[in-house]
Amino acid sequence: MVDEITDFEVLEIALRELCIEKGIFTAEEHRLMTEFAEQIGPTPAARLVAKAWLDPKFKELALAEPMTASKEVGVDWLHPTGWGTPSDFTAFQILADTPTVHNVIVCALCSCYPRPILGNSPEWYRTPNYRRRLVRWPRQVLAEFGLYLPDEITVHVQDSNQKHRFMVMPLQPEGTEDWTEDQLVEIITRDTLIGVALPKPGVTTNMIVDTRPAIHPGNAG
Amino acid sequence: MSATQDPASARIAGLDEIVERGQVWSRMAAKWGVENPVPPWKTSLDGMCDALDRASCEENIPDFKQRRDEEDVLSATVYSDLPYPENQLMSLAHSLVSRGVIDEAELKQRLASVRARLEA
Repeated sequence: MVDEITDFEVLEIALRELCIEKGIFTAEEHRLMTEFAEQIGPTPAARLVAKAWLDPKFKELALAEPMTASKEVGVDWLHPTGWGTPSDFTAFQILADTPTVHNVIVCALCSCYPRPILGNSPEWYRTPNYRRRLVRWPRQVLAEFGLYLPDEITVHVQDSNQKHRFMVMPLQPEGTEDWTEDQLVEIITRDTLIGVALPKPGVTTNMIVDTRPAIHPGNAG
Repeated sequence: MSATQDPASARIAGLDEIVERGQVWSRMAAKWGVENPVPPWKTSLDGMCDALDRASCEENIPDFKQRRDEEDVLSATVYSDLPYPENQLMSLAHSLVSRGVIDEAELKQRLASVRARLEA
């Protein structure tokens, strides 16, 4: 435990109290939103993909009615906090990879992300560096995550926004044909659901990426 | 003046002092031997951002896009020495003060009273 009061901890409390006192939001609203932030994570999305790999009918449902399929893994997009998150609700679509098409998601405008089913976005997803460059040079950016795709695989970059959220359904990797759902869930990491990695037996953690500031083309010399 | 127009010239003394003291989570975690990847106030900050986004039609409160745009600009300029999520928190504070939602003196006073309460 950090047994020291930091300025940032104090600042977070001060801002929150002042906003509540000014009537900008209530303590109850803040508590509900914070509980939402605490309980979300990538597991429901991993479970959804594992189920789809094992059950072709569920895969059909996931692609045709993603919000219905989400409910089967415990995520209600209409009421993720129990009373809704307007900034988050949206049309939700699952992008299925094929042997010739690889999908990857971004939010070029800000950092829209399928939070109810995938949790909070990683820091690098929020950076202008990722957002600006992925849409222009997707293969270069994917290579920085260690993902090198052959030329015959088309890369689709899907731009999210406040109305539309996406997640990727990667292909089931070879060598996992007789795996259980629980085993599969372990290799369906957050990064594979964003599309910056492919699921691989033995890999159960996300890439740690050093975030770098974007270099504005006008300042690049 | 909005933070988006000229954030670098609109420094806020009380926030600059926080930058200078540098009690960022990576340093605190190393000092106290804890392994949490993010500080304990992070989810509360997320809750505050969501709650603000819901309230953005009132007064001069930034809407979702303005808040994120200002965070991007401020994180790359005034608060570029801070890591995430400290730069997210400081950018939000900067936006709210720059927009007049929270008065600078009022924030300073509240920072002192919150600290006194936590240290009591």
